[in-house]
Formats: sequence, C-alpha cells, structure tokens
Amino acid sequence: KRRRTTTDQNEIEERLESLITRVGEKSTSSLESNLEGLAVVLQADLPNYKLKIISILRECAVELPEKLSVYTTLVGLINVKNYGCGGDFVEDLWVHLRDLMKANEWDKARTLTRFLADLVNCRVVDVSSIVVLYEAFANVTLEEGIPQVRSDWFVYAILSSLPWVGAEISEKKDEELQKILNKIESYLRTRKKDHVAMLRVWHSDSPHPQEDFLDCLWAQTVKLRQDDWTHQSLLRPYMAFDSVLCEALQHTLPAFTVPPHSPDDSFYPLPRVVFRMFDYTDAPEGPTMPGHHSIERYLVEEQLSCIINAYIKDRKECAIQLVSFHGKAKVPLNYMIVEVVFGQVFNLPQAVKQEVAYTALLLELCKLQPGSLPQVLAQASELLYERLDTMNLNCIDRFVNWFSHHLSNFQFRWSWDEWADCVSMDLEMPKPKFVQEVLVKSMRLSYHQRIVESLTNPEPFTPLMPPKPVPVYKYNEEGAGSLPGTMIAHKLMETIKARATTSEVTAVLDDVPNPTQDPDSMEDESTFNPLKIDIFVQTLLFLGQKSFSHSFSALAKFHDVFKVLADSEESQIHVLKMVRELWCNHQQMICVLIDKMLRTQIVSCPAVVNWLFSGSMSGDFTKHYVWEILHATLRKMSKHVGKITAELQEAREKAQKKKKSMDSDDEDSEESDSDSDAESQIERLQEALETAQSEQKNLFLIIFQRFIMILTEHIVTNENRGVTFHTPWYDYCIQRLEQIFLMHYSQVLAYTGTLEDLVFTGDTDPNILKVFQQFRSLSS
Amino acid sequence: TISQQEKRLKNSTTLYVGNLSFFTTEEQIYELFSKCGDLKRIIMGLDKVRKTPCGFCFIEYYAREDASNALRFISGTRLDDRIIRTDWDAGFIEGRQFGRG
Repeated sequence: KRRRTTTDQNEIEERLESLITRVGEKSTSSLESNLEGLAVVLQADLPNYKLKIISILRECAVELPEKLSVYTTLVGLINVKNYGCGGDFVEDLWVHLRDLMKANEWDKARTLTRFLADLVNCRVVDVSSIVVLYEAFANVTLEEGIPQVRSDWFVYAILSSLPWVGAEISEKKDEELQKILNKIESYLRTRKKDHVAMLRVWHSDSPHPQEDFLDCLWAQTVKLRQDDWTHQSLLRPYMAFDSVLCEALQHTLPAFTVPPHSPDDSFYPLPRVVFRMFDYTDAPEGPTMPGHHSIERYLVEEQLSCIINAYIKDRKECAIQLVSFHGKAKVPLNYMIVEVVFGQVFNLPQAVKQEVAYTALLLELCKLQPGSLPQVLAQASELLYERLDTMNLNCIDRFVNWFSHHLSNFQFRWSWDEWADCVSMDLEMPKPKFVQEVLVKSMRLSYHQRIVESLTNPEPFTPLMPPKPVPVYKYNEEGAGSLPGTMIAHKLMETIKARATTSEVTAVLDDVPNPTQDPDSMEDESTFNPLKIDIFVQTLLFLGQKSFSHSFSALAKFHDVFKVLADSEESQIHVLKMVRELWCNHQQMICVLIDKMLRTQIVSCPAVVNWLFSGSMSGDFTKHYVWEILHATLRKMSKHVGKITAELQEAREKAQKKKKSMDSDDEDSEESDSDSDAESQIERLQEALETAQSEQKNLFLIIFQRFIMILTEHIVTNENRGVTFHTPWYDYCIQRLEQIFLMHYSQVLAYTGTLEDLVFTGDTDPNILKVFQQFRSLSS
Repeated sequence: TISQQEKRLKNSTTLYVGNLSFFTTEEQIYELFSKCGDLKRIIMGLDKVRKTPCGFCFIEYYAREDASNALRFISGTRLDDRIIRTDWDAGFIEGRQFGRG
C-alpha cells in the first residue's frame, strides 16, 4: 500500500512539472485562461506539494527566461490566494540568487534578478525590496580592489531589469532610484574601456556606432527615463488580472548581501560590444526600426536572443517561435531577427552557439518566410561585404563560412557580377580576400567545375579562382629527369604498387644519397636526409590521391617508415613541406593530412607551428587554411590537456569518496593496497598533466614569439624605408595574432604571467604589445 | 537482440547518411560534417558489383555530442543540391558499406 502511494505521488509530481513547464506554449485557449486554470489546479495541490511546486517554479524562473512574465503572473495569482506560499517562494528566490552568484552562474543570476523585478508588477514583492536589492548591487561599484568585470555585472543586472520595473519604482521611490542611477552614472564615467577595440565587429563607427554594452544600455535607460519609463515591447499578461492582483498583499524581503569577490574562485562574464548592422533606413517599408538608443531596440533584441538560446537545438521550432514573436507588428521583425542572429554569430571572442547552428536556423527561416527573409539576408550580405574593410578578421572568417555554406543550399546562386570589381584592387585587401576564400570554401562543399559555372561570368574572377585540386608530383613533372631521386622515386612507386612491406620500402630508400653529406663519409643513420623524405612523402601520398581514405590508409600502412625518417623537428618540418608541395592545389587535403599526422604522432605540434611560420609558407601566410591548421593544432593540444584534467579530477573524486565511506564505516581497512594504487594513479596523472601543460605553454610561446619576430621585422623594414608599415599584410597579420588570444582565450589566460615575463615585455614594439594589453583588459 | 542494439545506438558516435548523390565525394562530406566537430572516419557506401559510391555513407565522430549536432543542424539540409538525411547508426561493421546500388 505504501508503495502505491509513492507511485501516485511521483505521478502527481510529474504531472505538476509538465503542467507548469508547458504553460505559455501554443494552445487553443488564451494565455489568460490557461494561467487562471493552472493557478486553480496548483491551489488545490499546494497543501501537499508546496515544496515541489516552489522548486519547479524556481527552475522555470531561471531556465525559461523567454516566458518570464508568464511565470511572474502565475506566481502573482498564487500569491493572491495563498500569501504564505508566495512568501516562501520569494524567500527561496532570494537565497537562490545568492547561490547562483557564488556558483559564478551570472547569466542565470541576471535572469532571476529580472524575474524578481517583474514580481513587483505582479504584486508579489514590494517596491522597497527591489530597491534594496538594486542598492546592494550599485554599492559593488564602490568596492575597492575588484576587477571591473565584477562591478560591470552588477550594473548590468540593474540596467537590464530596470525596464521591467522602472515605472513602479519611479512612481513610489523616485528619490532612491535617482541615487542608484547617480551611482551608476559616476561609475560609468570613470570606467576603463580598453576591451572595446578587441571585441568590436567593426573597427569603424560609421555607419553605425559599435558601443560598449553598458554605455549603450545606459543611454537607452536615460532615454527611457525621459519617456517616463513607458515602452511597449514586453508581454505583460498580468495586466489582464489587475483587478485580482491589486488586492494581494506584498512581501518585503530582507536586506540582500552580495557575496564578496574571491580572487581565486570568482569568474565574471566578459564585457561585450553591441552589434549593430541596420538602422531604419535599411528597412523602409513596414514598421520603423527603433533607434540605437531606444529601449525598444534592447527589449526586442533581448527577447529574440532568449528565444534563440532556448530553441536553437530545434531549428524548426526556433524559426517558428522567432517569426511569431508577440511584438512583430511594431518592429521590422525580419531585420531584427537577422541582426540578432548575426550579432550572435559575430560575437567575440566566440560565437554564442556553434556557427553551424545559425546556418541551419537561417535556412529554416528562409523556408518559413520564402517571400521576405531571403531578401533581407541578401541585403545583409551585401552590406557586410561593403563593410569588409573595417571588419574584424575573426568575423570575416565566420562570414566566409556561413556565406559559402548558405549558398551551397541555394545552388550557389548569387549576384557575383556586383563583386567583380574587387579584383582591380590590391588582392591582399579584405574584399578580394573574402571572395577568394568564399570560392575556396564553396569548392570544398562542391567541386571546381560547378563553382566556375555558377559564376555565370567567371572571367573577371580568374585571379581569385582556386586551382583545380590535383596533386603536383614533382617526379612526374617536366624536367623531373634532372632531379636527383627521380629514378628511385619511380622505383619506389612500383614497389609500393606491388604491395610492398615496410622493410621493402625502407630498402629502396636506403639507396638514396644524402645531399647534405659528403658521399664518402660514413653513413650516419641519425642525420636527417631531406631527399629520402622528398621521395617517400611525395610518392606515397601521390599514390593515395584518390580520396582521404586512400591517403589515410597509406599513412597508416607506412607509419613506421615515417617514424624513422622524421625523428626530429627539422625532418618533420620537411615532411610537412612535402605534403604542401604535392597538394599545393588542394588546401583541404593539406588540412586533413596534417590533422591525421598530428593524431598519429608522425609530426608534433611545435613542428606544425614552426612550419607554418617558415619561409616556405610565406606565400600562403594570408590564406585562411594556414590559420585553420594552426587553430586545429591548438585545439588538439587543449583537448589533450582537458582530457587529463578530467581524468585527474575523476580519480581524485573517487579517492575522496572512498575515503569518506571508509571513515564512516570505521572498519579495519583491507584495501590499503588499492588505496596506494589510487594514490599512484593520481600522482601519475598529475605528472602527465604538468607535462601536457608545459607543452601547451611552450606551443603558445613559440606562436607568440614567431608573431613578434615577423611583425617586428615588417615594422622595422618599412620604417627604415620611410613608408608606413600599415599595409594590408600587416593588418591581416596583427589580427591573426589577436585571434589567437580570442579563440583560445581561457587557455592563454592561464599563461598570462609567463607571457608577460618572457614574450610581451617592455622591449616589444608598442603596436604589438597593445594587442596583449587589450587581451588583459578583458578580464581585469 | 533488440535491447543490445538500442544500447549501442544510445552510445554510438556513428551516423548513417542517406540520399547522397552518386557523385558526391568523401571530401565534400568531410567538409560539411566537420562543421559539427572532428571526424574519425567516413566510410562511403559502395555498389556491391561496381564498387562505386551509391548514395549513402557512414560517418564516425570522436564525440557523441558532435554527432548529435550533425543530426540537428545538417540532416535535412542540402549537399550537391540533394536534401540529405542522417540517422544514428549502431556502429560500422565491415561489409555494410556494400549497398544494392
């Protein structure tokens, strides 16, 4: 019988959860009647399930920000009937807010702050409580010795919830509000803004200013205040229940203590720069687009972002939710959606979600609104293209990826002719570079002939057109007869074709003289023989040219030969050089082969990096695939470090658990053996982690040192010639340096001290040092 | 058994991809699907007799989450103008690459 009751209880709890989480979804009856009905149901269950209901509602308050006012209204309706429960709920939220802050869950804490603010409108919390909360937040700006990102968050939390509750506060507590706003204003006046340069999508404020997020929201708030805190972009379901809610008793919450800053355990969100690509002139028909400093712009963006964050994993639902946004009659919705989506794609240091998720979402939106959305996207693409000269290179990469992928879903149809004039400028400039990379990426998703044909008039694009992706096997080229090694290369080819073993291949290669050595001297096995590598790498990979799989099995089969031939960094760099020589027409092949060679440890990470910065690659240095390889190499290294870190943590937790259970058992331990096993495992992992971290640090050091070398050389050479060093090459290169900091932000952050001591010192050219200082300003 | 099969599907990092054009190459598939994460390998489906691509393949990721994302963001979009479909696969076994053509 007892069991039966538990099952019933579980069933009821599950039903409650489903009822509560689903309210506000599309339904045949109105939102108001659904809310009313649900409030009645919960009323009946409250005596028995109060704690469960409170915990479900708390989850919804934090996890479903896109339905915020639906839940504040629901809580309002419950509070009217059951004051005690309302009180327990808000006290629970108060505690939870502090917990979220302690756990560095700042985004959730911001959502919850807004929820509490909206509870004032629903007559659950009294105005003075939210004022007390804001005062505690505003006082953080007066704390000393804290990073700016901390005070930034507290100011942001106030400003980003104030539109919900501004009218109420100004009506009842205007003096207090004035004081809070004064505090914020004086904080913003002295705030450092070194981070803006690194985080903005465009280096120019024309045509649209790219503002720091707090400055922009402050300007919007000032304007909102002038407008008496009125706006029209929020859903306010509680309005319909005004006559009921006005009878409710409100709760006064105790003072809120902000958890103090802890230098070791507190991590705050990075600052941001607001992305703007449109204004009202871009969308001349239909409702007017709100201005940059209109709070409506912020509120619509916020709500669209909430929808995207909530539904992105289900692209169809996400698109439906976006186009049915409740405020769609008042704004040019498609333009706002496209701006918000690109804002997330171009967000720095990282896109908010995976780039490919946005590609999928935009495809879905095109499908849903075939008569209007594709035009807005085309307009956006034109406009992004026009502004390429001042666009952050990181964002250009993402633009290339999205645009080529998007076009591949529309038969590569595009008004290419309008971009044909870019070939008349320096081909290192961003526009021709962009077109070139789009063509390369498109070809990777399609094939050469197809891309040529899609250009309708390919002639002007010839200088940017990627070559046909065929191998260049130097021992078959014209004049190969005079190359040393041609004979052996052809012999090697026959040997491999005849299904040779490793030792047979090695035997053929043994006949290769070492051009770096005196032929009469004794053969020294350990000296690297570049000619052997030339012959072997070129021949083997030429034979595997048919597909990636063919090349991979060739690498696997003769892995041992590689290990013997390429046993030093110098020889590994030579292997890489040969890969590139053979596949100079096929960037993708170079990328995947190097990926495989790194994974199978034929080449090392430092070898790849030093090769990329070597003279033999200088001609390709401003091509995207070089950076694709560099970032992939760094990612592999971080994954390696991450894996060991996770293993170590797991081992420690396991040991801790065991210890606890043994302590509590209080029995004689028979497992001291396995205890020391665990200890030695932890020790081993610790050592492995230290090794991996020092390898990672070393890799970053190499990269930054190489950057400083080539950039300094460029600056000095040009200054000696009396010309400006600000060339397209320099702009490209310095931004690639910036990109290392942004793309691998948290990894680099861990080594900031070392970098400051060893690489970015007082001797570094100030133009280069500036990048490092901007990076540091992101977290300070 | 069915439950074993289900268990394998639940932990699988392999996808079946169908409705490919016969002319779509491994390289193209690689490019598209690596937008969701690093690929371990691709096995092209081949015509039993002619040993030529015949419209399907298997893709193995290193991470399960990357494969999930491919289902979310790539399945149902176009490659070589055809809407490709992907589904979980319990894991590639030698021999399964040979289709009916």
